[in-house]
Amino acid sequence: MEAVVYICLGLMFIFGVLAVMLRSMLKSAIALAVASAMLGIIMYVLGSVWAAMFEISVCSGLITVIFISAISLSNTDKKDLAKLYEDKERMAFLPAVLIISGVVLLLVVTSPVFSLPAVAPVAEAADTLRETLWTHRQADIWGQAMVIITGALTVVALFKERE
Amino acid sequence: MNAFVETAMLVVGFLLIIAGCYGLIRTYHLLKIVIGVEVAMKAVTMFIILAGFINGKAALAQTFVITVIVIEVVVAVVAVGIAINLYHNYGSMDVRNLRKLKG
Repeated sequence: MEAVVYICLGLMFIFGVLAVMLRSMLKSAIALAVASAMLGIIMYVLGSVWAAMFEISVCSGLITVIFISAISLSNTDKKDLAKLYEDKERMAFLPAVLIISGVVLLLVVTSPVFSLPAVAPVAEAADTLRETLWTHRQADIWGQAMVIITGALTVVALFKERE
Repeated sequence: MNAFVETAMLVVGFLLIIAGCYGLIRTYHLLKIVIGVEVAMKAVTMFIILAGFINGKAALAQTFVITVIVIEVVVAVVAVGIAINLYHNYGSMDVRNLRKLKG
């Protein structure tokens, strides 16, 4: 199973960076969806099945649909895009920044001071998610409901027809 | 699963946060800014799951991740709504146009 995590981690990193770097918005949205799907697979392998399902269906599906809808509602010419945002020049340093940060992080994690805690035995069965969500984290449910209502009201206000 | 996998996840997560923040501060396109935020949030989601895996409390980590995902969607929807309004008003999704708004 470790090989699956390594492959998905690599693909998630590549597509995550591509989502930021690509000039085409459509390709960026698709790269983000692939990165989300890879994260979903990693979650599944680590035993977080419900979170993986949410990640794949909502982040990889719904958010991509939202982005593609927004892109289809705005039709800027590709030539104008380069002039408007100057993204290509501004994103040119990202690989260098990532390489430098990667080297620094590798030096940190290979130093003798750095150590991760050992994996603890599973304290709860996987099917206690429902119990945790509805008993211990009930405040989160109310918070989520409020956030969703706020989002819905905001969208109604933003898309209101002008008189 | 050995500690090397967890360390690799930590390194990749930090690199994704750096990439997301770089995209956040180096572009003027509002949708690209939201994509930068989403990329950074992917790494944060992975960290929460990793913490749950190490502590042996996967169910608790999953509840937090579900909350993060809900907030992620609402942030994306509201930001896209603002971006479309910006496009209708100024013909582009350049965030510098937000300075021209009243108020």
